[in-house]
Amino acid sequence: MPIEIPIPTVTQVIFLVMALFTAACGLMVVISRNLFHSALFLVGALFGVAAIFVLLEAEFLAVGQVLVYIGAIATLIVFAIMLTRGMMRGRTSPMNHVSGRGALGALVFFVALLAFLKKVPWPEQAQAIPVDESLIAGLGDKFVTTYVVAFEAVGLLLMVALIGAVMLARDR
Amino acid sequence: MNIAALTANLHVILPEMVLAAFALLVILADMLRQDEEESRLLPLLTLAGILAAMAATAWIWNRPVASYQEGAIADGFALGARTVILVAAGLATLLSMGYLPRINRQMGEYYALVLLATLGMTMMASATDLIVLFLALEIFSLALYILSGYYRKNPRSTEASMKYFLLGAFASSFFVYGAALLYGAAGTTQLREIGNLLASDHGNPNLLWPGIALLLVGFGFKVSLVPFHMWTPDVYQGAPTPVTAFMSAGTKTAAFAAFVRVLMEALPAQQIQWGWALAVLAVLTMTVGNLTALRQLSLKRMLAYSSVANAGYILVALVPGTAQGSKAALFYLLTYAFMNVGALAVVITLEKIDELDALQNRAAGLADRWPLLALAMSIFMLSLSGIPPLAGFFGKFFVFQAAVEGGWTWLAVVGVLNSAISAYYYLRVMVAMYFHEAEEPVQPRRWGGLSLSLALTALATVIIGLYPSLWTGFLSGLGG
Amino acid sequence: MVPLSWYLILAAFLFTCGLFGALARRNAIAVLMGIELMLNAANINLVAFWRYSGAVTDLAGQVFALFIIAVAAAEAAVGLALIIAVYRKRKTVNVEELDLLAG
Repeated sequence: MPIEIPIPTVTQVIFLVMALFTAACGLMVVISRNLFHSALFLVGALFGVAAIFVLLEAEFLAVGQVLVYIGAIATLIVFAIMLTRGMMRGRTSPMNHVSGRGALGALVFFVALLAFLKKVPWPEQAQAIPVDESLIAGLGDKFVTTYVVAFEAVGLLLMVALIGAVMLARDR
Repeated sequence: MNIAALTANLHVILPEMVLAAFALLVILADMLRQDEEESRLLPLLTLAGILAAMAATAWIWNRPVASYQEGAIADGFALGARTVILVAAGLATLLSMGYLPRINRQMGEYYALVLLATLGMTMMASATDLIVLFLALEIFSLALYILSGYYRKNPRSTEASMKYFLLGAFASSFFVYGAALLYGAAGTTQLREIGNLLASDHGNPNLLWPGIALLLVGFGFKVSLVPFHMWTPDVYQGAPTPVTAFMSAGTKTAAFAAFVRVLMEALPAQQIQWGWALAVLAVLTMTVGNLTALRQLSLKRMLAYSSVANAGYILVALVPGTAQGSKAALFYLLTYAFMNVGALAVVITLEKIDELDALQNRAAGLADRWPLLALAMSIFMLSLSGIPPLAGFFGKFFVFQAAVEGGWTWLAVVGVLNSAISAYYYLRVMVAMYFHEAEEPVQPRRWGGLSLSLALTALATVIIGLYPSLWTGFLSGLGG
Repeated sequence: MVPLSWYLILAAFLFTCGLFGALARRNAIAVLMGIELMLNAANINLVAFWRYSGAVTDLAGQVFALFIIAVAAAEAAVGLALIIAVYRKRKTVNVEELDLLAG
């Protein structure tokens, strides 16, 4: 009996390409010697995650991911790298003295996690998103009803960050 | 959208609203003040905010249990934890009064962040949803990262702040990943619904276990359980001491309260498994904490390892997963807030100006010249080592009793043995104070707020021990 | 349709990369980048679980992911400010060289 090789659908191919891109960028972020390259790979990985969100039909989140992660966080990181120049290309390895143990720990963690994930019977199909319902409107509605406490909390969190950043930036 | 639904039970988050309003007031007052002299009003405004939040908490206590928008709840346990957090915040504010002007003049931001951190802690203690819980955790964590680095001219302080940030953010991502897996297992972020789903054998056990394990790592970092405690001594030592006092009592209370809620509401059906994991962690935490504390010369590092060990004792109460255990943990946190903040207040008096720490030899001969200060420190040390009839004794007593009645007698025995070890390093401080000669004349620092908080903590430590009838009401108010 | 497990494996891999970066890098900014990867991994999980859950209109997973993005932004702002504050004082952001605090 011939072994049937499942033919991937178009979506699956797109997923595989994006996933490989994201994973490769993610790996390069942590092993790249040059810190600036790390930051660029981080931008790549963040874009990849945004693409994954689009595949999952969470477009709003994908836009948020691009705006906040790439527009703000990655930019901040690049700024910070520039401001702490001289640290960028060390004469020595970018890894610390426990990197061997770190790699081992991370590997063990990954294998353990996969072992759990493997045992779960996974749904192959997701429900179709009802066309008559706007998910973004639903999201807005949830923010002021079910998740209103969390919504307020995020406001306060940003206030803490604001006060903190101002305080750190201003030398009196 | 329904306005009536939105305002129903709004009183549940009244303490948080009060704290947020006062944080804004503090910033406003800081902007409007004319000269340095007027900045003395800021701590008073902060204290007013904390007292108002306490009053709000007391007021809610007399109302039926309610929850607001499935995000926050005002049951006895949440209110009790809020009270402990507010007590710690109030004491820390008193300690900050004379401490701050010497090291950094950005007092408006400091007090605003103290209030916001308090808010995050109380919110975490009353959160009933993983999302709210995580956000509250982040609010106070971010505020504390910044506060630890408040002494900007001191490289130790900034270093402590950065280390705290890196390890805290690292821990947060574990927490989030764990929460995501838990959401995957149950399909909801509501703690009680997770519990219902998992009890009825729905959900995905293979997502559940890694989820619980990762959540445990996240919580473990926040309450400094071994082996996730590496940051504790560095941060305790490098942070300005009033901040150390605040975070030692406040973070522990908030994180343990939330931990108890996650275990008791979302995962009660899995107690048999996590009970063992917690028991192992508790043994490790108590033993490593106490044995390392024995070797410390710095008072703040000793208290940091003692705080690790104390996290272990509190964890013992959580192992059986009983309501009695949760209450015992909260009561322990109350006594710990008083005795530990008190001990750190004594450290402040002994610190050299511009140093963030005092070595144990600074305490030598203290009893000869400053008998009252030495007496206060003795009370805290005796209470921390669990000697009756002080507050710390009752804290330990209830914790170990909960363990024994939950069928974990061996764990209680390990706890008692650990208390015995800990007595050695606590009593060593007393020996130095009463029997050693002073190496250099120490002129303790003092200001009104410091003396007041010393008096309050010492009195509370004694009174809780001598008049149990005063707080049995507190315990029964925590509900079943 | 892509099976859910593919997303979860990608997330697990990204998390592991971030974990390794956070554990093994010397530079504090590199550690922070590792942490960002870990948070992103959690977000992939949340959105994937939401998409494959029985109730798509119950947006808990998406809401959580959005909040995590906000948290990451706040964390990055404060964290980088702290790192730069340390750099100004010490001229290094190498975690191993920051060792003033010790017993």
